[in-house]
Amino acid sequence: MRVKLWGTRGSVPSPGPETIRYGGNTSCVGITLSDGSLLALDAGTGIRNLGISLPPELTRLHILLTHLHLDHIQGLVFFAPAFRAQTEIVIWGPASPEASLRDRIARYISAPLSPVEVRELPCDVSFRHTPETEWEIGPARIRAASVAHRGPTLGYRIDDGESSLAYIPDHEPALGADIDALEEDWISGFALARDASLLIHDGQYADDEYPDHIGWGHSSLSHALSFARRSGAERTVLFHHDPLHSDERLDRLGVEARKHWVELGGKAEAVELGSEGSTYELPVRVPATAKAT
Amino acid sequence: MSQRPLELILARNLMSALSTPAFLVDEGGVLIFYNEAAGMLLGKRFEELGTVGPEEWGSLFGPLDADGKPIPYDELPLVVAVRNDRPAHANFKIRSASGSLQMVEASAFPILTAHGSRGAIAVFWPASSNGGAHR
Repeated sequence: MRVKLWGTRGSVPSPGPETIRYGGNTSCVGITLSDGSLLALDAGTGIRNLGISLPPELTRLHILLTHLHLDHIQGLVFFAPAFRAQTEIVIWGPASPEASLRDRIARYISAPLSPVEVRELPCDVSFRHTPETEWEIGPARIRAASVAHRGPTLGYRIDDGESSLAYIPDHEPALGADIDALEEDWISGFALARDASLLIHDGQYADDEYPDHIGWGHSSLSHALSFARRSGAERTVLFHHDPLHSDERLDRLGVEARKHWVELGGKAEAVELGSEGSTYELPVRVPATAKAT
Repeated sequence: MSQRPLELILARNLMSALSTPAFLVDEGGVLIFYNEAAGMLLGKRFEELGTVGPEEWGSLFGPLDADGKPIPYDELPLVVAVRNDRPAHANFKIRSASGSLQMVEASAFPILTAHGSRGAIAVFWPASSNGGAHR
């Protein structure tokens, strides 16, 4: 499984010279499975560049949406394959008692917010609510589960052979809970991340910023690392960077994160802050001692 | 051990922060948590008791009607809520771990999601009247 980060920013695109290294595009991760099948995790503005990178002859791909906040769907109407008649796109996302996934996404892909309507997209697009049970896409087994954020929000786990990726970009598992003290089955998202080869997880706030953002649906750096430690992920990428965090600020947070991880018993190289354009080949082979225990 | 559904995780987190006594059961009626305030009412902390299967928890603390007769398990508000997916309310007596009886009012409501029932929550508070069980 090959993983590429196309958008690592949270909340709102934040382009500019101060964010050029970690990137200003919002959430999108491209996955190439072992048989060459393609998945996109979320459709923030990062999916635009993913679309540009894909060959025009591509016939099918799946987009797995964690939720429908704008920073996770904004790129849909700028995704080149959506404008090719030969492309079949399957969009997965959370169910809601209020309206279907298609109808909720159509609130964005419709006038006056969008120049095109869903029905006008040239591609063959379908919308599916994620099942409660595991399902398959190509060689991969996919699991989705609700996680603590604002509104119906999913995390995903993708298993392909020996490789496993957990993707939980918007997540506040410490809301009203002590991650270090809770039993595992009471930790939001735990089963998705357990022993994953790679965990991509919300790390939006510095620890000193979190108290002013309790309940906003995101993690502090320490909470994200506590979650990673409990879950036993081999490697952790902190993601969904706050739009106010410059490259220099993120560099400092990266140093803090690695220091904290070492204090938890792990190896510094097992934790990093996600950068737009970074790629990961799974399974990663981090020495067992690099995992915190 | 399987992962608890998010709705139950959030319910437990909320209940943990409340001073209102509250009980939480899963969709199968298993008592999976009660908070410190409920523990004070019952005279036993949840951590001392652990999860308790359906039917069993119904008899652990009474409950008794105004005449001291046991209330059938099926009629308890929490059971009505989780089985019938609707709110329920009742007054009854509960017996604490020390043996003392306390008249309480209880309101229960189901936890429903797009994928169906996850369980139910009941909140309790001391009742001032001596009225029997009613729904």
